[in-house]
Amino acid sequence: MKIKNILSALITAAIIASCNHPSVPANAEQESRLPRITPDYTEVTVPANICPLNFAVQEGATEAVAKLSYPGGELTYGDGVKVQIDDEEWSLIREAATGGSIKVEVYAKIDNTWKAFKPFNIYVAEDSIDEYISYRVIQPSYVAYEKLSINQRNLTNFEEKEIYNNMAVSTESVGQCINCHSYKNYKTDNMLFHMRQGYGGTMIVNNGELKKIDLKIDETISAGVYPAWHPTHNLIAFSTNKTGQSFHTKDLNKIEVQDTESDLILYDVDNNEVSIISELENELEVFPTWSPDGKKLYFCSAEFEYHIDTIAKETEMIQRYKEVKYDLYSVDFNPETRQFSNVEMIYNAADSLGQSVTLPRVSPDGRYLLFAQAEYGCFHVWHNDADIYMMDLKTKQVQKLNNVNSARSESYPTWSSNGRWIMVASRRDDGNYTRPYIAYFDKNGKTHKAFEVPQKDPNFYTFFLRSFNRPEFMIEPVQITPKQFTQKAKEDAVKAKFAQ
Amino acid sequence: MKAKAKPLYVSLLAFIALAYLLLPTMNGDYLYTIQDNNVFINGHTFMKDIISHYGGFGTWAACYLTQFFYHPWLGSTIIIACWIVTTLLTAHLFQLKGKWSPIALAPALLLLFNLLDYGYWIYYAKSPGFAFQPTLLTLFIVLASCISKQLLHALHILKPGRPTNIAIPIALCATFTAISFTVGTWKLDNHKSSFLTTLTDKNFHHEMRMYRALDEFQFEDVISEMQACQDEPTRLMVVYKNIALMHTGRIHDMFKTKNHGVNPNVSDSLTIRTSLLGGSLIYYHFGQINYAYRWAMENSVQYGQSFKSLKMLARCAILNKEFDVAIKYLAMLKNSLFHREWAKAREAWVASSTLLIQSKEFQTLSPLFNEDIDRLDHDEGLCEKFILEHFSDLTQAQSPLLEDVIMCTSLWYQDAYAFCVHFHDYVNNHPGQPIPALYQEAAILLGTAESSPITLDRFKFDTPVSTKYNQFVRDYNQLLQSGIDNEEMGRRLKGLYGDTYWWYYYFCTDFNFY
Repeated sequence: MKIKNILSALITAAIIASCNHPSVPANAEQESRLPRITPDYTEVTVPANICPLNFAVQEGATEAVAKLSYPGGELTYGDGVKVQIDDEEWSLIREAATGGSIKVEVYAKIDNTWKAFKPFNIYVAEDSIDEYISYRVIQPSYVAYEKLSINQRNLTNFEEKEIYNNMAVSTESVGQCINCHSYKNYKTDNMLFHMRQGYGGTMIVNNGELKKIDLKIDETISAGVYPAWHPTHNLIAFSTNKTGQSFHTKDLNKIEVQDTESDLILYDVDNNEVSIISELENELEVFPTWSPDGKKLYFCSAEFEYHIDTIAKETEMIQRYKEVKYDLYSVDFNPETRQFSNVEMIYNAADSLGQSVTLPRVSPDGRYLLFAQAEYGCFHVWHNDADIYMMDLKTKQVQKLNNVNSARSESYPTWSSNGRWIMVASRRDDGNYTRPYIAYFDKNGKTHKAFEVPQKDPNFYTFFLRSFNRPEFMIEPVQITPKQFTQKAKEDAVKAKFAQ
Repeated sequence: MKAKAKPLYVSLLAFIALAYLLLPTMNGDYLYTIQDNNVFINGHTFMKDIISHYGGFGTWAACYLTQFFYHPWLGSTIIIACWIVTTLLTAHLFQLKGKWSPIALAPALLLLFNLLDYGYWIYYAKSPGFAFQPTLLTLFIVLASCISKQLLHALHILKPGRPTNIAIPIALCATFTAISFTVGTWKLDNHKSSFLTTLTDKNFHHEMRMYRALDEFQFEDVISEMQACQDEPTRLMVVYKNIALMHTGRIHDMFKTKNHGVNPNVSDSLTIRTSLLGGSLIYYHFGQINYAYRWAMENSVQYGQSFKSLKMLARCAILNKEFDVAIKYLAMLKNSLFHREWAKAREAWVASSTLLIQSKEFQTLSPLFNEDIDRLDHDEGLCEKFILEHFSDLTQAQSPLLEDVIMCTSLWYQDAYAFCVHFHDYVNNHPGQPIPALYQEAAILLGTAESSPITLDRFKFDTPVSTKYNQFVRDYNQLLQSGIDNEEMGRRLKGLYGDTYWWYYYFCTDFNFY
């Protein structure tokens, strides 16, 4: 044991000695406030296995130094205004601080004067996080799309790889759009994503085998759009949507994405069969998601009756866009008989609150349900008032997650596989580009201040002009290679059958 | 030796003179537009994004060099220097001497031709740094061939001083590859040469110069450029001209100047869209900031990021008071070579609302902001049509300029119903004040028509207007009875009535929005 400790200390000393650490400026003027840093890592709680939290000081400074104090030591960093922490050193710091905190003191040279800001803490939880996340990398586009990909990112380091890139099959005349990706129980041997237009179809990985399916059949209004893998059976619930876009001339929400029609379908992966879950005439059903035991399906639905005969449905929908408000429903499901029964509205947002609920997700223990809520509509990524709420499914109490939310849009909430971390797509940085934020959800049911997924270059988010949409947790990387996905994408899709 | 080299140097000098004539002298606006549709941001994120693709480093270098076309003479000097080196290396590679040595200019001539062969494709070419890519690729191949040849010499595979069986295939392959890439790679199916468009299509150049002047809020330059147009202008030029008139208090002169535009003259499969060429800027100048932002974004998504789009995204974000995202775009522009000062000036607006309010852009555009009026709509890619419909449909104006814009767009769009309603409101809102001649001309025509929603004959029109209108009706009817076609009638009446709304209404009817 002693030898091990000595060796560990020697390795630590060697690592530290090999790095260049600036000295803390002497006689710095004291500032009583926290420093402005990007990303904002002040007083955040991070997982026990997260990669270094690099940041840049935004005080109009020319130089900056940060001193990180942790149980058993302290280290300084600073390169211009960037604070970039060595991977190996970060591991030591993080491990030493697990269950406790790292104290960060920031010094910034502003107008040739060094200033010392009020120190802040980075709390390191004992809970770790799923190693991987995936997201769609896309410009915050309106109608046009060109280059987009689904990428996977390792949260314990900065490694990011493409899962699939549409440019591999897009041509000058026929482009391809990639839609929502989904995994069964956070694993990647059962996963899917959808492709539209050129080489369109749904790519489904079923127990490691890749298939390309055409889910648009005569009986449905579209192919599958928003998906949810059943946790125990090879079934996928999808919404089917007829979607359109229109644009605000003045409102800073800028875009309204609306469904003129939407229904729910169930796809049996093994038998390649589609059946209808719900297609009520005056209801717009969307965003299916399963309970962890697979015995309930949650979804959102808006009651909307077209009553102007003289204009097209799309036009009426645009004129009445503020009237479209979604409530939250559940329906019981018997996985053996495939029967749905007992539809129940579990959250009346439209009539009682004048609000609209989207994107529900149940926690892995089945106790809590996250969703996004805003004044109206179904595409909350463009709604500045969209926030994340959580329902306790035992008590049906709903609370707004203030530590997760910001003054700008939050949407696409999701849980880590251990239920301790909540990830959302947030536009808090600038209101236009979506970034993944993660918040700790502790054993007492309390959320902690969310932090932005770290990048090696702390200025990355400033200079990156694409959004990270629909972030999802995974416990393993996707096994199918981009080349395999590309080859399959070029093949004809197998048409799904309709099951009565 | 000296005497043998002469033909190459003489032809090289002639080529340099030709290149300077064709590039910065005759096509400075074209080169500036190329750089405006290109982007280069110093820094790791941009570099990583570009070099992650095949040939990425070359693309990155091409983007870097393209930005020098901001100053056309400087960018031209760089590209001509590349061509000179390519020529000398080619001569060396092929050991071209004496009267055959000018053949070494073939790659440079092709590259010059290629650079001028884009025409309207400069807006549509998706490959970043496309203007410099063939040049750099050719230079690289010729240089690599020379180095290979030297290596082969060093290894005694080739004997110095004379071409061998191996050297010639290498050189030929290199040249063939260079020419293939130079001439062929960026083009799509059914593409024909646009060389003549670049060299001879005056409207193509008017559009570029008017765009730049409008972008810099130099409205008199826009009007002068339109006045210099001898032929039928494009619709885009008409819109640019009307914007300039609007912002210089002369919106009523819209119909006294050329207000009938034609489609651009393109020789191949290209479909020109105003939304790509100038849609964003048009919306911006009409105070439609969200739509300007949208088209800057749409175009950057589909045709690649550009300084043009980044600047538009930044200025829209500023006027929308979305300062966080404005700072993001400005930070990128501050990391460019030639748009840094532009970005710094706007950064000051972000920091100080006083400076923003005092800025020419804000002062010019703010009268067009109809606060609190939001519409959910879409333009289907036809920005001129959307602008005309949108403003014609507005029912309340919060500034005198907006009031005029509402009236004039309904006239521009020939929406008689909308104009009559607006005219009625205008007269009621300005009791006892003289009515502008343009509105009288329009009202006397449209307000007496059977389809008019409001009878305007209770209004008293100025005598010269009524007299001239009666004369116009008489002349028009006479020509109509003589059986000549509408086009000829328009030509004959233009001298007397070409500056009236009546002439525009009767003879500029074939709207073709694109």
